[in-house]
Amino acid sequence: MKNKKNRFPSGQAAIVGIGCTEFSKDSGVSTFALATRAISTAIADAGLKIDDIDGLCTFGTADSISPNHLAQALGIQSLSFYVDQYLGGSVSMSVIGQAALAVGAGIADCVVCYRAINSRSEQRKGGAKAPRADMPWDIQFKLPQGYMVPAQEMAMNARAHMLRYGTKNEDFGRLAVLCRANAVDNERAMMRKPFTLDEYMESEWIAEPFHKLDCCLETDGAVAVVVVNAERARDLPHRPVLIQGAAWGGGVSIANNGFDDPAVSPAGPIAERLYATAGMGPRDIDFAEFYDCFTFPLLSQIEGYGFAKAGEVPDMLKDGAFDRTGGSLPVNTHGGLLSEGYLHGMNHVYEAVEQIRGDAGNRQVAKHDVALVTGQLGYISGYSSATILKGA
Amino acid sequence: MSNRLIVPIADRDTTAYWQALANGKLATTHCRDCGNWTWPPRPICSGCHGADLSLDELAGTGEVFSWIVVHRSTSPDMMQYAPYVLAMVRIDEQRDIYIPGRLISDKEVHRGMRVHVQTEKITDAVGDLVWVAD
Repeated sequence: MKNKKNRFPSGQAAIVGIGCTEFSKDSGVSTFALATRAISTAIADAGLKIDDIDGLCTFGTADSISPNHLAQALGIQSLSFYVDQYLGGSVSMSVIGQAALAVGAGIADCVVCYRAINSRSEQRKGGAKAPRADMPWDIQFKLPQGYMVPAQEMAMNARAHMLRYGTKNEDFGRLAVLCRANAVDNERAMMRKPFTLDEYMESEWIAEPFHKLDCCLETDGAVAVVVVNAERARDLPHRPVLIQGAAWGGGVSIANNGFDDPAVSPAGPIAERLYATAGMGPRDIDFAEFYDCFTFPLLSQIEGYGFAKAGEVPDMLKDGAFDRTGGSLPVNTHGGLLSEGYLHGMNHVYEAVEQIRGDAGNRQVAKHDVALVTGQLGYISGYSSATILKGA
Repeated sequence: MSNRLIVPIADRDTTAYWQALANGKLATTHCRDCGNWTWPPRPICSGCHGADLSLDELAGTGEVFSWIVVHRSTSPDMMQYAPYVLAMVRIDEQRDIYIPGRLISDKEVHRGMRVHVQTEKITDAVGDLVWVAD
């Protein structure tokens, strides 16, 4: 099946509106309210009306608000398309891809993809409460061991990379410093005070080899983006951002038999399919917003999506290859999940659209026509997802 | 029996697995047709897709492939051990199966460190495991 013909509707759907709420530690409101605010803002940004919406796509682990509840609240009497995808960051870009499929097939005319979450005030990851260990899949086996938060899983994979390629904490630290530096110019970002590599190294251990500054934030907020067909997009206020390619599924995780070295980026298998959907390759990408729940996945994706050979990222980082100014591939131009906020990757889409429009102000990258935006690369759930966005 | 706040909840695929651990054995699904092991225990062989599986005891030995040191645990049961080592152990039977667990060792951890399993009875029906350095 390797050469199966790809019929993704490349460039037939476009993101025409974006909206978000404030990113905070305590929104003080429900995820329902957050979603309605982000959606209203996105629809207004698109020059459309709530009444135009006929599709709603989201994802989450029962910690967002579902399309059927929203449709009722928004007065949508006949929803043409919905996705209520279970899981978190690993599936985040699948909703963008599925919206493109629906719009490309003419099933829906105006699909809003959104993510609302109170991940700090209501849903702290593995807080001190004692949850029942009745989680699905491998989590059932890890939870009783205290092997229960993503920081630990990613640190375990980071260690494997360190052992195989000699990667050091300083290399992870440079990624954390880079993301923070990018957040300084971002009024949406929760963390805007720069830190040095020394400060990174001195920050407390969470799950060694991860320091506190290897870990992303916990955020309350919502992001929504509006998808319509590319023809209609031409008549709307902003530069259309075409969904040029998308791929999801993919990934392998350590609980999948057959994947025997976690040092090898699980982004590899999905990257190949992604580029095929877009008719593009790594060289066509101007900038990338990688899923950076932790520092190491960012490094692993730079490898997996074909921008570096395994083990090359540390030297490239020292050469400034990923800097927003002067870098060959600016990454996480808004500060990423590490410093802007943890909206499960939907905030990456928001930033990519602003950049492609040329509306990113002091953060604007020089070349901004084609963006790669990714979901979590597959280490944890085994799922992964990614999209390529292109300015019309 | 140990007093724990977080107790594994067995489902229909895993009741026998947790029961085995309570009985002092680490066992997982093993294909009678092709000999492939699967962990976590599954209702189908991931190798040949056969359904004739038995829950067989593993040797309970392997080597450390990767590890982390948990300084900030979110588990009330594990806080007493922090900082503690969690290891991904590649079992001797099959190189693509890693079973994670807390590692007890007097020596510094390294890749390839030989370890063996130690089971722990939580209730009559549910047990758990830790890895112990040889």
